[in-house]
Amino acid sequence: MAEVAAAPTGYALRRLRKGWRSGELMILTLALAVAVAAVAAVSLFTGRLNEAIALQTGETLGADLMLTSRDPLPKEVTKAAQATGATLAPVVQFPSVVLRGEATALASMKVVTADYPLRGVVRIADQPFGPARIAVGGPGPGEAWVDLRLWQDLSLEGGAIVQAGASQLVVRALIVDEPGRGVGFSDLAPRFLMNAADLPATGLLGPAARAQYFLQATGTPAQVQALKELQLPLGVRRVSPEDARPELKAALRNSAEFLGIARLAAALLAAAAVALCAAQWGVKLRDEVALLKCLGASRAWVLRALVLNLLALGAVAGGVGALLGVGAQEVVARMLGTLMQVQLPAPSLLPLLQAWFVALLLLIGFALPPILQACATSPIRVFQRDERVAGRRLPAVSAAIAVIALLWTQTQTWQAAALVLGGAVLVAGLLALNAWLLVLLLTPLKRAVGTSWRFGLGNVARRRGSTVAQAVALGLALLALLLVSVVRQDLLSTWRNRLPPNTPNQFLINIQPDQVEPLQAFLLSKGVTDARFWPMARGRLVALRGQPVTAETFDDPETRRWIDRDFNLSWSAELNPDNEITQGEWWGEAGRGMPWMSADEYAVERLGLKLGDTLTLDFAGTQIEFTIHNLRTVKWDSFRPNFFLLAPPGVLEEKAAAQWLTSFHLAPDRRSLLRELIQGYPNVTVLDIESLMTQVRTMMDRIIGAVEFIFLFTLAAGLTVLLAAIEGTRGERVREAGLLRALGARSSVIAKGLIAEYAVLGLLAGTIAAIAAQVIAWLLAEQVFKLPYGLRPSLWLVGAGVGALLVTTLGWWSLRGTLRTPPDRVLRGPT
Amino acid sequence: MSTVVFAKDVRKEISSLDGSSETLKILRGVNLSIAAGETLAIVGASGSGKTTLLSLLAGLDSPTSGEVHLAGRRIDTLDEDERAQARAGTVGFVFQSFQLLSGFTALENVMLPAELAGRSDPRERARVALERVGLGARLQHYPHQLSGGEQQRVAIARAFAGEPRILFADEPTGNLDTATGARIIELLFELNAQGHARGAATLVLVTHDEALAQRCGRVLTLREGALNG
Repeated sequence: MAEVAAAPTGYALRRLRKGWRSGELMILTLALAVAVAAVAAVSLFTGRLNEAIALQTGETLGADLMLTSRDPLPKEVTKAAQATGATLAPVVQFPSVVLRGEATALASMKVVTADYPLRGVVRIADQPFGPARIAVGGPGPGEAWVDLRLWQDLSLEGGAIVQAGASQLVVRALIVDEPGRGVGFSDLAPRFLMNAADLPATGLLGPAARAQYFLQATGTPAQVQALKELQLPLGVRRVSPEDARPELKAALRNSAEFLGIARLAAALLAAAAVALCAAQWGVKLRDEVALLKCLGASRAWVLRALVLNLLALGAVAGGVGALLGVGAQEVVARMLGTLMQVQLPAPSLLPLLQAWFVALLLLIGFALPPILQACATSPIRVFQRDERVAGRRLPAVSAAIAVIALLWTQTQTWQAAALVLGGAVLVAGLLALNAWLLVLLLTPLKRAVGTSWRFGLGNVARRRGSTVAQAVALGLALLALLLVSVVRQDLLSTWRNRLPPNTPNQFLINIQPDQVEPLQAFLLSKGVTDARFWPMARGRLVALRGQPVTAETFDDPETRRWIDRDFNLSWSAELNPDNEITQGEWWGEAGRGMPWMSADEYAVERLGLKLGDTLTLDFAGTQIEFTIHNLRTVKWDSFRPNFFLLAPPGVLEEKAAAQWLTSFHLAPDRRSLLRELIQGYPNVTVLDIESLMTQVRTMMDRIIGAVEFIFLFTLAAGLTVLLAAIEGTRGERVREAGLLRALGARSSVIAKGLIAEYAVLGLLAGTIAAIAAQVIAWLLAEQVFKLPYGLRPSLWLVGAGVGALLVTTLGWWSLRGTLRTPPDRVLRGPT
Repeated sequence: MSTVVFAKDVRKEISSLDGSSETLKILRGVNLSIAAGETLAIVGASGSGKTTLLSLLAGLDSPTSGEVHLAGRRIDTLDEDERAQARAGTVGFVFQSFQLLSGFTALENVMLPAELAGRSDPRERARVALERVGLGARLQHYPHQLSGGEQQRVAIARAFAGEPRILFADEPTGNLDTATGARIIELLFELNAQGHARGAATLVLVTHDEALAQRCGRVLTLREGALNG
C-alpha cells in the first residue's frame, strides 16, 4: 500500500501562489500588511519622535539631562557622568545682590562656562525690546548679561559697569530668552549671567552661599540613558526636560495617546478584517479539504499544508507591511525632521520584530481557528453537503484571547484601550440591534417600490441574519473611519485651541495696589481689554489642622521644598475657567470675608488636605487660620495666572501686604506699548512669553501632523474591513445575479438592485456608526484627553452619506465584473 | 481473481432530523464482494442509498455496523486518517460534480493524487494522463475556462494519474449532456481497459443511466437500502 509520503510544502507554496486569485486571501494579506505597517510605523516613528522631542525640549532646558544638588556635586558623580561619554557643562546658580552705583537689586546669578548652553540658544539684544539675535557661547570673562527686569531695576544701558561681589563686570547684552527658564512665578528672580572664570574673584560662593549646582549633559540616547540610570547619592537630583516643562509634558503625553489610539484602532480593525476573511476562507476550504482527504490526504497533512500556507502568507504580508511601515515612518520623519530642525535618530529594529509579532498574533488568533475547523471536514462532503462544523466556539474563544493579547502588547493606557474595545463591543451590539430593527421596518417597504429596489430591499430583508452581521462589520469599519475624522478634526483642533491666538503672552508682576487702577485705565486706553488683575500675598505655612508645622515635619523631599518658602496666595469671588472644582463648592460672592481656602490638587497631594482641614498662614507676623472649603484642579498649561491656594475676597486685603499681577494678549506689532508701560510704571516687571508660546504651538502642530499621518493606517485598516465584509457575500450575490440574468433580468435591473441593497446597507451602518463615533469621541475627550467636546449633529448626516457612498462604491467595484459575465459561466463555474 | 472490495452486513443508520428517537435506515445489511478487474454498476432510484454505499466502500464514511474491506484491509474499524492512508494510491474517484480545485490549473489538479501518494514525478504523470484524455493542449487552463465535459475529462485524468487499483465513479455523466456523457463513458472504459502496470483497475460505478450500467460486467440494484443482484 502506498504511504502518504509527499511533504505538503509544495502544495502549500502552490496554494499561496494561486491564493491571490481568491478575494478573501488577498484582503487577508492586505489586512495583515496594514496591521504590521501601522504598528511598525507608529512604533518606529514614536520612538524616533520621542527622542527628537526630548532633544527639542532639551533645548528649552539647555541640556538633555541635568544633575543638580545644593552642594557642589560629589566627585564620584562627576566621574561617573564623565564615564558615560556624555558632554558635560557645570552651571552654578545662586542669589546675590548686584550693585550699580547706589542702585541695588537681588538677582539670580548664573555662572556658566564657554560651552553654555549645551542645547538650545540664548537670544540677546542690545537694549530693551530691541531686535534679538542668537548668542554664540555665554558671556566672556569680565562680561555680564542681564535680563530685562535687572536692566530696569538697575536702570542700565549697554556697557554699564555693575558690581557682583568683589568684581566689576561690564554689561554687554540684554537676555531676551534663555534655555531652562520655566514659566512659574517662583524662579523669576532677575537673571545675571556671568562667566565661570570670574567667579573666584567675586568671592560670592562662600560656604554659606545658597547655591544650586548643576551638571548639564548632552549626548547620544544611549549616553543619556546611562545618565538616567546612574545611582545618585542623597541630595543629588536628576532633572529631565519633561520635568522642566510641564506644558510640554502634557503635549507629549497627549501625542503618545493619540498615536497609541491610532495604532490600536488600526490593529483591532485589521484583526476584524483578518477574522472576517479567514472565516470566509475557512468555509471555502471545506470542499477542498474533503476532496484532499478523499484523495488520501490525512488531516495532519492538510493541516500542515494550510498552516504552511498561512505562515508563508504571513511572511509575505509581514514583509510588505514592514517595508510600508519603515517607508511611512521615514516619510514622516523627513517631513518633521526639516520642520523640527533636528536630526532624528536612526530607527531601531525592535519595533519591526514587534510588528511581525502582531502579524503572527493575528494569524494564530483569528485565522487559525477557521482553518482548524475546515481541517475537521469529513471527506463525505464530496457527496453530501454537510454544514456541521466542529468546535463552533473555537474562533470566538481564540479571538477573545488574541484581542486581549493585542491590547496587552499594543497599549500603554489601559483606560484608552478599554474605551476603544468597550466602545467597539457596545457598538457592535447596538449596530446589530439597530440593523435588525431597521430590516424589520424595511420589509414592508419593498412592496411599494420598483423592481430593482424590490430586489435590493428584498435581499436585505430576506438575508436578515447576514444583513445584520454585515451591517455590524460595515458599521465598525465606518465607525473607525468616522472616528479618524472626528479625532483628527475635533479633538486635535480642540487641543490646539487650548492655546488660541489670544492666549495671554504678556505677564505684568510686582504691580503695587495703588497702581492697579491707573494701569487698568492705561491698558484699556490702549485697547487691551482682557487683562484680569490678581492680588497676591505671600504667606508661610505655620500650622496644619491646628498642629504647628515646619519643612522638617514632612518626610517627602518635594513637600519639604514646597513648604520651605512663601506661598503665593490670591483671592477672588470668581473662578477661572481653567479651574474645576472637584470637591465642595465654589464660594462666589457669598464667601466674601469668610476665612475659607480653595486648594489645588498639587497642594492637596503634598499636604494630604481634605475638606474641613485648617491651614494657618503667617503673613509677615499676622496669622490667619483658613478652612479648606473646596478642592480644585487647574490646567497649568493654559498660560493664565493660577494659584495653588485661593481665598475669598475680604479676608486678606487689610491683613497682608499684596502685590498684583495681570496677564493679557498683545499682538507682536504692538510691542512698543510695553516700552511706554515701563516708562510709566518702572517698578512693574514685564514677562514676555510669546516665544515660549510659539514654541509650544509649533510643537503641537508638528505632533498633530504626525498623528494625522498615522491615522491614515487606521483608515486603510477600516477600508480592508469594509472590503472583507463585502467580499463575504460576493459569491452568493454573483450566483444570484447569474440566476436573475438567466431568468431574463436585464443587467441594469440587477445593477440597480445591487446598488439599492448596498446603499441601504451603507446607510444603515453609517448612521449607527456616526452616533457611536460621537459617543466614543466624547468619551475619549472627556475621560482620556480631558478636553471639552460638544456633539456634532452634522456628523450623523455625513456618516449616513459616506456609509452609503462607500459601501455602494466598494460593492459595485467588487461585483462589476459579474454583470458582464454570461449567466451560464456564473452559474456553472466557480468564481 | 482476488477480492478487492468486500462488504459484510453493512448497515448505515442516521438519527432522525426531527429529534425523535426514530432512526433513518439508509442501508439495511448490504453484502458485497468485488473482484479485482471487475466492472460493477450500482443502480437504483434516488434516495435508495447508492452514494452512501459507494462512500462506505471507498472508506469516505464508516458504517453503523458491518465490515468493509478495501484492497485487503479492513477499513470500517479505522479512523478517518487511517482510512485516508488506505485510500492514498489505491483508490481513484470520478464525481458527478467534477470536484476540481478552482484555483489550480488542469495539470495541478491532476498532479494531486500522485503527489499525495508520494509517487515520483507527479507532473509528468499528470501531463501524460491529460494527454490521454485529449487535453494535452489545456494543461494550464483553470476549471472555469473549461466546459463541463472537459472538466470531467480532467477529473478522469486525475483518477487514472494516481494508478488506482479501484476506481469509484459517482454518476460520472450526471452533469453532462447525452453526447458528451457518452464520450466520457467511452473514455472511462477505454482507460480502464488499457489499465496500467498492475493490470486493469476495478471500476465501481453508481448511476441512474441504464445504458451506462449495461456496459459493466455486473449490475446490482439497490432498493430501499438492500441489494438485489
